Amino acid sequence: MNVIELNHLQKQYSGNYVLKDINLAFDQGEVIGYIGPNGAGKSTTIKILTGLITDFEGEVNVMGMDIRKQALEIKLRIGYIPEQAALYEVLTPMEYLRFVGKLYGMKENEIDTKVVRMLQLFELGESRNQRMNGFSKGMKQKVLLISGLMHNPEIIFLDEPLSGLDANAVILVKEILAKLKSDGKTIFYSSHLMDVVEKISDRIIIINKGEIVADGDFETLKTSARQGSLESIFTALTGNEQHLVTAGEFVDAIK
Amino acid sequence: MDKWLLKLILVFRQVFERQGIDTDRMTVIVETKLMMDKRRVYLNFRQREYRENKNQMNGVLISYGVLGLFMGLLIMAIPAFTLAMIFFHSYVLFMVAMTLITDFSTVLLDTADNQVILPTPVSGKTLFMARVVHILIYLVQFTMALSLLPIAATFYQYGLLPGLAMMITVTLTVLLAIFITYILYLLLLRYSNEQKLREMVTNFQILMSISFFLGYQIIPRVVNLSDLSSSGPLHWYAYLFPPVWMATTLDIFYAHSFDPLHAGMALLSLAVPVGSFWFLIKFLSPSFSRKLGAVATDPAGAGRIRQEKNQYRSISVFLSRIFCKKGPEEGIFALVWKITGRDKGFRLQFYPSLALIPVLLFIFVLGGGRNISTVWQNLPSSDRFLGLVYLPLMAAPASILVSAFNENFQASWIYRCLPVARPGELISGSAKALFMKYFLSFYLLMYALSVYIWGWQITRDFLFGLFNNLLCFLVFVSFAPKYLPFSRQPSTQVQTGKVVLMLVQFLVIGILIGIHYLLINLPIVMYLVMLLLAGACWLLLKEIQDIGWEKLKT
Repeated sequence: MNVIELNHLQKQYSGNYVLKDINLAFDQGEVIGYIGPNGAGKSTTIKILTGLITDFEGEVNVMGMDIRKQALEIKLRIGYIPEQAALYEVLTPMEYLRFVGKLYGMKENEIDTKVVRMLQLFELGESRNQRMNGFSKGMKQKVLLISGLMHNPEIIFLDEPLSGLDANAVILVKEILAKLKSDGKTIFYSSHLMDVVEKISDRIIIINKGEIVADGDFETLKTSARQGSLESIFTALTGNEQHLVTAGEFVDAIK
Repeated sequence: MDKWLLKLILVFRQVFERQGIDTDRMTVIVETKLMMDKRRVYLNFRQREYRENKNQMNGVLISYGVLGLFMGLLIMAIPAFTLAMIFFHSYVLFMVAMTLITDFSTVLLDTADNQVILPTPVSGKTLFMARVVHILIYLVQFTMALSLLPIAATFYQYGLLPGLAMMITVTLTVLLAIFITYILYLLLLRYSNEQKLREMVTNFQILMSISFFLGYQIIPRVVNLSDLSSSGPLHWYAYLFPPVWMATTLDIFYAHSFDPLHAGMALLSLAVPVGSFWFLIKFLSPSFSRKLGAVATDPAGAGRIRQEKNQYRSISVFLSRIFCKKGPEEGIFALVWKITGRDKGFRLQFYPSLALIPVLLFIFVLGGGRNISTVWQNLPSSDRFLGLVYLPLMAAPASILVSAFNENFQASWIYRCLPVARPGELISGSAKALFMKYFLSFYLLMYALSVYIWGWQITRDFLFGLFNNLLCFLVFVSFAPKYLPFSRQPSTQVQTGKVVLMLVQFLVIGILIGIHYLLINLPIVMYLVMLLLAGACWLLLKEIQDIGWEKLKT
């Protein structure tokens, strides 16, 4: 059964289409790597799938429900980790996560038990009662990860989840995603980090200027694009093969 | 108090739930928001200072209480009951709407909620209502502080029934104010984007600060309370204004007059606020949240970012090339010029100080508005132009203090990374920009006005005054704490510094006017002193430019 379906999805801002006739379907338990250059439409797609943007054209169904009509039911069963670490920073991690947990309808003791454990595993146990306005970007990102996963969602949407994390935390999050995948969760993962996408994704989708330019597993993409790495496939498909020339010109401009 | 009020509001739980609002989630949001409010450092528009909000509420309530005391006295002073009630309800409507627009615009338009709360299963309607309840908790307290004494005055002056009815009309007025504010925001959101809306709110806040200041200073000098001794028949269009409905309704309880007009007004004063509030929750709240959500997620907003002019053609760059040393001084001049014009915090804190200029002009030069035509006729034969020469200095020095603080203070790392040998050049460049922008522009205006009134012979005095003012400004720069522009985290220090500065300013300006007055009929001496002043300015500027890193305050 398809857990996510996008039919003729289009989205425009002031007459400018940022998503053009997107048709996709995903199975349960799939890990989808969603990549594209800046402004390609990645975040807009995720915001539509998570019910944050409702004025779009086409049909979007998540777990068989129409995102326009049953957004609240869908939101209960999905988790979203946004690109920017938007948190209420005057709160402590415990206070913030209790707040989010209650909005997900979780019981207070369930939240506390889960959150304390998750914070400790992310090495934030000692900082759990400190206000977050002194936190590093990585620490805030960890709190965001917990807030998006604490209610045990069936589908997880991650928009650049590794930004700001240190090397150890990146490895840990990759392992967490692998474990979530083996638990049958569907993961929709948007990132600029090609190596991570290449390693964890069952299926890779490349979007460029609002259009899907590639869709398949890594091996299929490799064969069809006749390239060796995801980075070179990405460069070839998004029309940015001039990196070497640009780099040379940039250094010349410094001189 | 907050929690108690929240519980009180939750008495209407079933009414909320019937409108499709999830009261459990709404309560969680409101409780968290109230907790956050107590910890937040924020900019209070009326005092124009940054404060940690711990005891802030008490201070605000006391100031509202004092305003209420004046209103109470006014109710007792105005003999006509209906007129007094129109005044009072207009005042409540105005104050509540202004408080919503100025102090609570961040709550009403909080797009951070879109990222934190909207991904969770909370409907737009619930979030909207949480915002309204959050605001209502404060508004109830403000309104109580504002209207407690006026209601007591009404009880005392007009009896039990009008006093009790007034409690209801005040509540209805608050509901109406919320509706009007939301309608205003909805209209603005419809024709604008978030950035533009915030810009408009900032400008509105500045305008309100200035008009409050002007109002407090000028209106008591112009309005004569004895003119308000009777309220004659009202014009038909007066009945379009809600305060008139409320006042006419109260008249039923005071004068026991109940005719079709009174009945109609009573119906309007009850039906319009309750009906509009219901309409707001039922129909407008989803579109408000959706619209706000849409503007916050609109990447196309980037395309609408204000296109600034080519910087090589801008006035700041042009002036910096003429008046600054090459290098850091030239660079910081343009930076300070631009940021002071664009930064919300700076504009909110400093621009209202500029209102001092017209107020003092009005009081000292135009004699406070009494017999203004006589004063105006006699101006050319008086020495009042001295006031015009030194008035602009009343506002400009505050910019030195305010410009040190910025919400984006972390960006000041750049100063320390650049090969700047003497940070004094950054301070002098900044001072030059502030002097030109916030002193010289007004000075030229005053000069033009003086030439119009006194003729060209005034030029010598303005030239002398320029050096005098410049020296004074540079002395302020030398004595001000040595901070680099926009490098400090906003704090309460600005306000404390501003009070001290204002006292020093009055003293110094008094002395300057005295010296100038003594030299007014000695042109040769005046030119000689001018030379001395120019030399002193040059020396002082050199000293400022030579300030080293070790002297900077961290």
